[in-house]
Amino acid sequence: MHIATRKRRVLHNAGRFVLNMPLMLLILVPLLYTVSISVMPPDEIYGNHLIPTSVKFTNYIQAFTNPYYNFPRMIFNSFIVSTTVMLGQMVTCSLAAFAFSFLQFKGKKVLFIAVLATMMVPGEVTIIANYLTMAQWGWLDSYRALVFPFLTSAMGIFLLRQYYLTFAKELYEAAKLDGCSNIRFLASIVVPLSRPALGALGAYVFLNTWNQYMWPLLVTNSREFRTVQIGISMLYDIDAVSLGLMMAGVVIVIVPSLSIFVFMNKQLINGLMAGAVKG
Amino acid sequence: MKDSVKTNIPTLRKKKFLSLSEPYLFLLPALIIFGLFLYYPFLRTIFLSMFLTNKTGKAKIFVAFTANDNYLTLFKDPSFWSSVAVTFKFVIAVALGGLLVGLTSSLLTEKKYLGSSFSAAVYAMPIAIASAAASMAFKMILHPTNGLLNHLMGTQINFTGDSRYALASVVGLTIWLTSGINFIFISAGLRNVPGELYDSASVDGAGYWRKVFSVTLPSISPTLFFQIIINIIGAFQSFSQIKLLTEGGPGNTTNVMVWSIYKDAFRNFRFGAAAARSVILFLIVMVITIIQFRFEKKGVNY
Repeated sequence: MHIATRKRRVLHNAGRFVLNMPLMLLILVPLLYTVSISVMPPDEIYGNHLIPTSVKFTNYIQAFTNPYYNFPRMIFNSFIVSTTVMLGQMVTCSLAAFAFSFLQFKGKKVLFIAVLATMMVPGEVTIIANYLTMAQWGWLDSYRALVFPFLTSAMGIFLLRQYYLTFAKELYEAAKLDGCSNIRFLASIVVPLSRPALGALGAYVFLNTWNQYMWPLLVTNSREFRTVQIGISMLYDIDAVSLGLMMAGVVIVIVPSLSIFVFMNKQLINGLMAGAVKG
Repeated sequence: MKDSVKTNIPTLRKKKFLSLSEPYLFLLPALIIFGLFLYYPFLRTIFLSMFLTNKTGKAKIFVAFTANDNYLTLFKDPSFWSSVAVTFKFVIAVALGGLLVGLTSSLLTEKKYLGSSFSAAVYAMPIAIASAAASMAFKMILHPTNGLLNHLMGTQINFTGDSRYALASVVGLTIWLTSGINFIFISAGLRNVPGELYDSASVDGAGYWRKVFSVTLPSISPTLFFQIIINIIGAFQSFSQIKLLTEGGPGNTTNVMVWSIYKDAFRNFRFGAAAARSVILFLIVMVITIIQFRFEKKGVNY
């Protein structure tokens, strides 16, 4: 009996293993293929090779050094914008979440609902009006346009508030008795204690901003302010013949995203789950 | 002495005012951003949708409830309805396809075996990949002359330029992109199924597939439902894939609503009509969100 169930388990796992391979390959192939093309010399790409006979980094050097693309500048832009948005959200969401969890005030419930209601509006719905605002303010083609609209989020406020609500009320009351101001309590006690939640928010927001496409496409025009995701699609528009160069660009852009996925996996997934759970 | 009394009262009052207004000060940065970039543009979109606009998006002629009403014009336009139809086809295919891939990958990595944790990492990985980057990778895979897919099949099909394959191409790409989040949520759902349920099913002599269909699936049905909703809402918002692979074509076969909003506003400079399309998109997403809330309260178990 025991041997039979054990045999069955081994058999099941073997079955899983065999079925798992093709599906896993399906997910991996786009990335492996991209990397493969990116290190191929042109004659092999046009000769329809799947795997390069020798690894060449010419495309990467091209992507970084061609002054016409100015790819390094785009990478710099994306880093600046993603970092600023991430830090900005950490600050504004911490402040708002603090008010919603520790303070009592008139209209708290209404304001909280007003914050959560923003989750119901997809960004694409307001994108035209936001674009027109940017045009009116003369903000097109600037870091301001890329950063300001994203400096807070309902998801961030909600995520941090849920975390703050797990803190003991006594902590706050004791600090108040000692004459600790709210802002000091937030900065010196709440923020250090909520590092896991801030990490989740940070990883999620950085990645999302790095991966943005539609908004940067609309509000930037010059190569000076373009971000990487626009950059890789430009590589194609400018020169559709250099498929290898295009794939090198894709790999360069994916490396930071994958690094966050690998090194901050837990935070990222926590952030993602908080982001998807609406209300 | 007198002076200090005089100054004390206003400072006290100031202090009281400060402590009363303090909570709002904490909320202020977030509320300013929401106000400027969410509430205001939301209202402005509704406002714009009632006007004909000039090339710079200025509302010029009020047309709501007249013969030139933006909504009325849309509803009379067969290309609008074809865009709605394409959107629903796209959304349903992506929602179900994503769910299927997520469910399969979750079931395959549910138990520990050689390589199962590596596979789990691979299945989650697409959450990190930008839609633009993935679109460029798929552009290469689908390339008519040098792409992987044509090479493997020995064909020279122009996948993104042929009306028979264009929608399927962007659907495939979008399923790939959403497979990660499907995997993460469905795996989490699987882990929460109580082990006793499987034990008692085993005692009753149920085999693997029997257990999948009468224990696993009913137990995770709330997760699956939730995930379908997430997929639907996400699919409605797809843009990069369309922009980079098909630009809505060929012959409007991939002209989903977000693309038509973009095209109306930034190619045809008809901001009023684009705003009307945005409002319609909002209403659709809102109805789906409400359905989700309703069902979540009831629970979808069985």
